[in-house]
Amino acid sequence: MVIKLENVVKVYRLGKVRVHALRGISLEIPRGEYVSIMGPSGSGKSTLMNLIGALDRPTGGRVYIDGVDISRLTDDRLAVLRRKKVGFVFQQFNLIGKLSALENVALPMWFAGVSRSARVHRAKQLLEMVGLGNRLHHKPAELSGGERQRVAIARALANDPEIILADEPTGNLDTSSGMAVIQLLEKLNHMGKTLVVVTHDPEFGRRARMRVKLRDGLIRGIDRNGGT
Amino acid sequence: MAVLDYLIFSLRNLSHHKLRSFLTLLGVIIGIMAVVSMISIGSGMKASLKEQLEQLGSDKVFILPRIAYGTAAVTLSDDDADAVARVPGVAFVSPLYSVAGDVAYRNERKIVKIYGVDPEKAEATFGAGASGYQLLKGRWLQRGDVYKAVIGYGVHDDVFSRDINVGSVLRIHGVEFQVVGVFKKTGDREKDYTIYANLDAVRGIFGVGDRVTLIIARVDKGADIEEVRQRIERLLEDRKGSKENFFVMTQKEIIERVGEAYRVVQVVFGGLAAVSLIVGAVGIANTMVMNVTERTREIGVLKATGASNAQVLRIFLTDAAILGVAGGAAGIALGYLISLSINMAAARYLGEGMLTTAVTPELVVFALGFSLIIGVVAGIYPAYRAVRLDPVEALRG
Repeated sequence: MVIKLENVVKVYRLGKVRVHALRGISLEIPRGEYVSIMGPSGSGKSTLMNLIGALDRPTGGRVYIDGVDISRLTDDRLAVLRRKKVGFVFQQFNLIGKLSALENVALPMWFAGVSRSARVHRAKQLLEMVGLGNRLHHKPAELSGGERQRVAIARALANDPEIILADEPTGNLDTSSGMAVIQLLEKLNHMGKTLVVVTHDPEFGRRARMRVKLRDGLIRGIDRNGGT
Repeated sequence: MAVLDYLIFSLRNLSHHKLRSFLTLLGVIIGIMAVVSMISIGSGMKASLKEQLEQLGSDKVFILPRIAYGTAAVTLSDDDADAVARVPGVAFVSPLYSVAGDVAYRNERKIVKIYGVDPEKAEATFGAGASGYQLLKGRWLQRGDVYKAVIGYGVHDDVFSRDINVGSVLRIHGVEFQVVGVFKKTGDREKDYTIYANLDAVRGIFGVGDRVTLIIARVDKGADIEEVRQRIERLLEDRKGSKENFFVMTQKEIIERVGEAYRVVQVVFGGLAAVSLIVGAVGIANTMVMNVTERTREIGVLKATGASNAQVLRIFLTDAAILGVAGGAAGIALGYLISLSINMAAARYLGEGMLTTAVTPELVVFALGFSLIIGVVAGIYPAYRAVRLDPVEALRG
């Protein structure tokens, strides 16, 4: 299992109120799986995503990523784990506006200590792979939404992680660019990456082989089928 | 990870906010500018003081009446000079009378400073490396010279529309003096624009009897100059009834007095520099806090893509360090310009070589290092705030 959650509880404090975002979730995701996580707003989808992506630690229970329990890791060990194992794709793209497409893609490799020339070389390759070989030096503001999301996907692949986590990756895109992004992500899954997608879009969600339905911080059902 | 990567990343960010970055720098710029110009003037003053000390020789005691409200409370006379000459340890004395007088050359009349000196002692008092006078042409005053004069370079070259040379005849208050020598340029405006003539002749023209305005006493080789100075002071105290009305000073004391005046300047400038550097540091800290707040989401992205806390810290400290160093560099450049213009002004109004300010490589390195430290210190707290941001919260913006 590349991802394993055991009875995970996450409680936030919002001022004086305690919010129970996850109330006891157990889930196993095999390597190379294509998973969609669906559910209404406030069901705990993003919280689950943050835990799987080692951005956050659980309040209770255990989260294993590639066999490592993240519950007790220091900030820096978590950073190393994210750097090596996880690639994030966000709804808001979250590219750095003052950097070019190439520099955005190279960023995770910078943190991983890859040499400048190797970074540039790989970033170019990745951008060519997502079909942006002619947009290397464009800033995010000079790119369309679909192009930006493809830069973000290239960035997610920078350190060749096991897991791609996509949080509403098509949420800010029109139908055709959204579909291009979906197809690109599925291509990565075919190449062996574990793909976890949070989505509101039932059509997108149905494409996954493993579908997790969340409500009120609990798993309401897991469906499996052949998918695409 | 190479420092260069952090520099490039920071420059991207800072150049994104050019005006803000520049305004942030002003405090540091002004502070470093003040420090650099102050230190360069200071070292220049020290150097020229040292030079003057060497020029004048450290074996002389100067005796002059204290001037209060423009007039001397007591006067010194030839008798006083003779008495000083008899003080043990005094090799010889040279009484002088200085006055600004009406000098005519051909059809022009000017007010020029005149030094009456004992012709026999002129060379021993002023020449031979003692006071920096060297002959350009002609000769020194000699025993028996009465209506003869030696002139400074400025008098030769500049005061009258036509050059005055050896053999020219000047009229001081109508009395003719023949020029027998011209001094080389000393760089000291006072020395260069003075006419040197027979003490008795000058005093006769101005009707001041046996009055002197300055007595220079040269001390015997090997004598303790401070002891001799005190002996002279006691003697004059006996003769004049009080030591309040005249100065008896050695070269060293004159220079120390100037040094004290310089220290006051140093404290004032230093205070100004310190205040603006504090303002500069607060400015950088302020900009950096704003920077961190604005870049909250970016910090989330950096952390999500694998930046460790140490890397985030370095990213923001680099921003602050660059602000500090950029301010420092601009401050050094402006300080250098100020130093340069002070040099030019000093050459023009004080005389060539009187004050040569210098921005040394050591000073540049010191100023850059100092501004780097200011930037980093100012950036520590904001960078720490960036580090402490929770990635999940930060990504929410």
